[in-house]
Amino acid sequence: MTDSPLLILFGSESGNSEYLAVEAEKQAKSLGLSPSVKGMDEIKIEDLVEVKNVIIYCSTWGEGDMPDNAVDLWEAANGDSPPSLEGCNFAVCALGDTSYEFFCQSGKDWDGWFEKQGATRILDRVDCDVEYEDPAADFTSKTLSIFSSMAGGAPIESQVLEDAPPELESIAEGEFDLGEGLEGLLSSGDRSLHILFGSQSGNSEELAAKYAKKASDFGLDATVHDMDGFDLSSMSSMKRVLIICSTWGEGDMPDNAEELWQEASSDSAPKLDGTFFSVLALGDTSYEFFCESGKDWDRRLEEMGATRLVDRVDCDVDYDAMAEAWSLDTLAAMAAVDGNGTFLEDQVDAIKDHVGGTAAVASGEDGFTVPSLEAEAIQVEISIFRYDPESATTGRDTWVCALPGNISVMGALRALKDTHDGSLTFRDGQDDDPTTAISVNGRLILPGSVSIDSVASQREDSLQLRIEPIPAFDVIRDLVVDLWPLERSRESSEPWMIAATRSGANTSQGVIGIMEPGVADHLHSITDFCSAPLLHSSSDATPHSDDYMGPAVLARMWARMNDPRSSARSISAIKEMIDSPSGIKAETDLASIRRQNASSRIISDALLDARTATLGRDAFNGRHGKHVWWYSWSVKSSGMVNDTVLYRQVLGPLGLFGNLFSGVTARMVLGFTRTGGNMFNGMLGMVAPPAGIGKMPKQFNSSVDNHHEVVAIFNEVDGRF
Amino acid sequence: MPLKYAYHPGNVAHSSATEVAQTMEPAAKSLGIELVPLLGATSCGAGIIRQASRRLQLTLNARTFAMAEEMSLDIITPCAATAGNLYEDLHTLKSNPNLLGEINDVLERTCGRRFNGDTNVHHLLHVIVDEIGLEKLESAVLNPFDLDTAGFYGPNIQQEGACGNDDVHDPTYLEQVIDAIGGRPVSWESRTQSVGVPGLFSEEPTVLRQAAAVLSEAKHEGAKIIVSACNLSHTVLDVYQGKASQATGLATNIPVIHLTEMLAFALGHHNDRLAQLRTRVAVIGD
Repeated sequence: MTDSPLLILFGSESGNSEYLAVEAEKQAKSLGLSPSVKGMDEIKIEDLVEVKNVIIYCSTWGEGDMPDNAVDLWEAANGDSPPSLEGCNFAVCALGDTSYEFFCQSGKDWDGWFEKQGATRILDRVDCDVEYEDPAADFTSKTLSIFSSMAGGAPIESQVLEDAPPELESIAEGEFDLGEGLEGLLSSGDRSLHILFGSQSGNSEELAAKYAKKASDFGLDATVHDMDGFDLSSMSSMKRVLIICSTWGEGDMPDNAEELWQEASSDSAPKLDGTFFSVLALGDTSYEFFCESGKDWDRRLEEMGATRLVDRVDCDVDYDAMAEAWSLDTLAAMAAVDGNGTFLEDQVDAIKDHVGGTAAVASGEDGFTVPSLEAEAIQVEISIFRYDPESATTGRDTWVCALPGNISVMGALRALKDTHDGSLTFRDGQDDDPTTAISVNGRLILPGSVSIDSVASQREDSLQLRIEPIPAFDVIRDLVVDLWPLERSRESSEPWMIAATRSGANTSQGVIGIMEPGVADHLHSITDFCSAPLLHSSSDATPHSDDYMGPAVLARMWARMNDPRSSARSISAIKEMIDSPSGIKAETDLASIRRQNASSRIISDALLDARTATLGRDAFNGRHGKHVWWYSWSVKSSGMVNDTVLYRQVLGPLGLFGNLFSGVTARMVLGFTRTGGNMFNGMLGMVAPPAGIGKMPKQFNSSVDNHHEVVAIFNEVDGRF
Repeated sequence: MPLKYAYHPGNVAHSSATEVAQTMEPAAKSLGIELVPLLGATSCGAGIIRQASRRLQLTLNARTFAMAEEMSLDIITPCAATAGNLYEDLHTLKSNPNLLGEINDVLERTCGRRFNGDTNVHHLLHVIVDEIGLEKLESAVLNPFDLDTAGFYGPNIQQEGACGNDDVHDPTYLEQVIDAIGGRPVSWESRTQSVGVPGLFSEEPTVLRQAAAVLSEAKHEGAKIIVSACNLSHTVLDVYQGKASQATGLATNIPVIHLTEMLAFALGHHNDRLAQLRTRVAVIGD
C-alpha cells in the first residue's frame, strides 16, 4: 500500500468530533495510510496549501456557530486571501442536532469552503444527528476506503485517468472483468441513489421503499424522499435520481408532488447537468391522461439538463411486472454510474449478471424490510398543555424548532424533554403503547405511531402542533392523565369470558370448539382498537357524564354479549349493564366517536346496534325510547320532525313546566339571541299560544310532497310506527 | 354559470330555526347559487330514526337521493347534522351494491323510484370555500362582519369525506369564511365538539354540561358571538344557554347565530336584523 499522508481535522465542543477523528486515525493506520490528527486550533489556514488529503469532523454549536476550537481557523479561512486548494481531496462529516434550526451548519460551511477553494470532494458530506455513531462510522469507513485506494495525493479525477490503481483504471477504460474490478465499481466512491415518490394511494411509496432495499444489491446506497417537502435545489448535487410517480384525476400530480412540481416548473429550477435519471409512471388506462404526471416529470428533468439513463415506463393498474422489469434495468444502469458521475454503459450487462441472483431474492416479500424514509427538516411550532399539580396551575409552553417531518410525535416530545425542558411530563413507551394516547390538533393519537407531518397540515411554511392530554380523564401532570377510572369501569363490567358448555367439532386433533368465520371476524372488528383510553376519549359525552361507562367498555361488552361462547347467564348480566343508565343510553351522540377513524366507525356502528337492541327491549319506554319513537312517528306523520310533539311527549308536563322556569321556553318564544323573524308563525300561534310564537315550533307541520310514499316506506320497513 | 343544487333546508328550519330558511335563500342568491327545493324530502333522521331501525333511515334518505338524482342535481344543505347524516347514508349505499339493491326494491314497491348513486351531498360551507371561492365571497361583502367570532362546526360534518377539502380534526373553513367577510375568527378547541343534540331529551344533564363547556370556552377565548354551521346545535346553544349556566355555574351568555344569518347580513340582506344583532352583542355578556 502506498504511503498516503492524510490530515484528520476536528472542530469539537463536547469531544465527539475529536473522538471520531482519533478513531479514524486508528483505522487509517490499519489501512497503511499515514494519518495525523489535529484540532482546528492547532493548524493555520496557510498550512492547508500543503495538504493533499483531508478529512474534517466538525460539530455545530448554538445557532449554527463554529465550535470554540474552530472559530479562529474559520475566521482566517474567510479572510482577505484564502488559499487555493487545487489538488486537495477532502470529505466532511458534520455533527449536529435536528432539534436546532441550523442543523450541522458548521460542517456545511467547511464543506462549501473547501469546494470553493478548489478542493475535490471525494465523498458527499454526511450530516449526523445526535445519534451520530453509526452514520459517522459508515462515513469514516467509506472515506478511508477511497483514500486507501488512491496513490499519492492526486485529485481523484486525474487519478482515475492517469495514476489509478489497477482496478479503478480498468473502470475508466471500461475493461473490467467480473471480480475485483466490478466489485470496486460497486463499492467505491459516491454510490448514493435518490428515489423520489409522488403518491396518492401509497403504491408509489411502496415501490420506492422496495427498490431502495433492492438497490443495495447493486452497490447503491439508496435514500427514499417524499416529494412533499423535498428540497429541489439539493437535486443538482445528486448523481442518480429515480422518480416514481402516480397520476391523479385528470392528469393531476398526486397531492404530495404538487408543490415540488410547481417549483420544478418554474424558471428558477436548478440545472441538473450532472444528474442521471429514470422515471416510473403509474396510471390507469381508463383515464384520458394516462400516466400524465410521470410523463411531465420525465420531460421536465430532461429540460433541466439531467440525462435519461433508462426510458420511462408507463404502468397500468396491474403494474407489478412492468415495474419490476424497469427496476432491474434502471438499478443496473444507475449502478454503472461511477463515483465521478461517468456512465459506464458497457458494464450494465455485467452488473445485471453479477447481481441478478441476489436481486431476485430481494424482490420477494419474504424478509423484506422497509428502509427508513428521509425527510427534510421543517419548522415546527409546538404548543403543549402544562399542569403543575403542586401549584394547581395550568398554562401552555410553546417551542419553535426545526425537526425532520417524519419524526414521530413521541420523538418530538422526547427531543423537547432532552434538550429544552426536563420537567415536561408525558407517558413514554413503545410505539403502540395504548396508555401513551394524547390529543394533537384535535386528533386522538398514539404519539409513537404518528409522524408530525401527518398529524398537522403545513400552514405558512411551518407545522403547528397543539398537544393536549386526552379528554375525559383527570390530568396528573402535563400530558399524563389518570387512567384508573377507566380500569375500574372495565373491571366492574366483568370483562372475563364466562363460557357456556357447548358441543365442539370433531377434528383430526380431537374435539374442539369452533366459531363461524364471519362471526369471529365481526367480533374481532368490534374489539380491534389500538387503545382503550383513546376510544374512551373519543366520545364527547364521557368528559361530562360521571357514570357513563364509555365506548371502550361498552364495545367489549357488546362483543362479549354476541359471542356464541358466552353463557346465557353471562349474556343476561351483560344486557342488564348495557341497558342501565350508565350503559349505552348515556351516550349522547355517536357522531363524535364515528368521526375519529375507520376503526371507530365500526365501533360506532356496533354501539348503534347495542342502542337499537336496548330500545327494543325497553319497548321504546322511558325518555330514550319515547324520543326515538315520537321522532320517527312525527316524520311518518308529515315527513318532517315535529319538535312540539317531542317536547310534549318526551318531557311530559313536568319537563315542560321545568323549561318554563329555566328560561328555555322564554328563549324559544323570544328567539332571544337569534335574530328577527315573524312574531307569529301562522294563525295557530295567535289562537293557540305558545305554538308558533317566535321561535316556538309549530303545533302542526304541513306534509312534504308525495307524503304517501313516506308512509308506505314506514309501513313496509318498520310497521311499529 | 350559477351553481345549481337540490336544496334540503335541514330538520328544524321549518319550525324552531326559521331564521335559517329565511337567510339561506338571499345569501345563496348573492353568491350565485341556484336552490331548487327538494319539496318531497323528509327529515334526514338526525341519527335518531336509525336508532330504531337503520334500514328505515337508509330507505327514507335513499328516497331523498333518488329525488335529487331525478333532478340531476347534487344536494346542498346549511345544516351540519343533515349533511353528516345524509353523507353517512349515501356512503353506505354507494359502497354496498347489495344493500342498495335491496333498498331499491323497497323504493320501487313503495314510491316507484330507484337510486343509482348519481348524486352527492354538500354543506353550504364547503360549497362556498371549494366551489365559489373566498375571493368572490369577499368581493360580495356589503356589511363587514367585524366581530370576534367563534365558528362552530359540530361533529357531523367533520368526518372523512364529508368536509370537502377541510381538515377533519383541525378545520379552518369557517375561520376562512369569517375572515373573508371582515370578521375576526377566534381560535378555540371546542369547535368540533358535539353538544349532544340526539340526547337532549333523554340525557339532559350531560347535554347541558356539553353545551356549557362549548359556550364558556368560546367566551373565554374572547368571542363576542358564536356562528354555527348546524341548525340543531345552533338552536340548542341558544335556547339552553340559561339552563346550561344554571346547571354548571359557567358563564354561557353569548349570542349564537347560524352561518346563513352571518352570510346574509354580510352580503347586505336583513340590515335591520344585523342592527339588532350588533345591539345584542353589545349588551350580552359578562
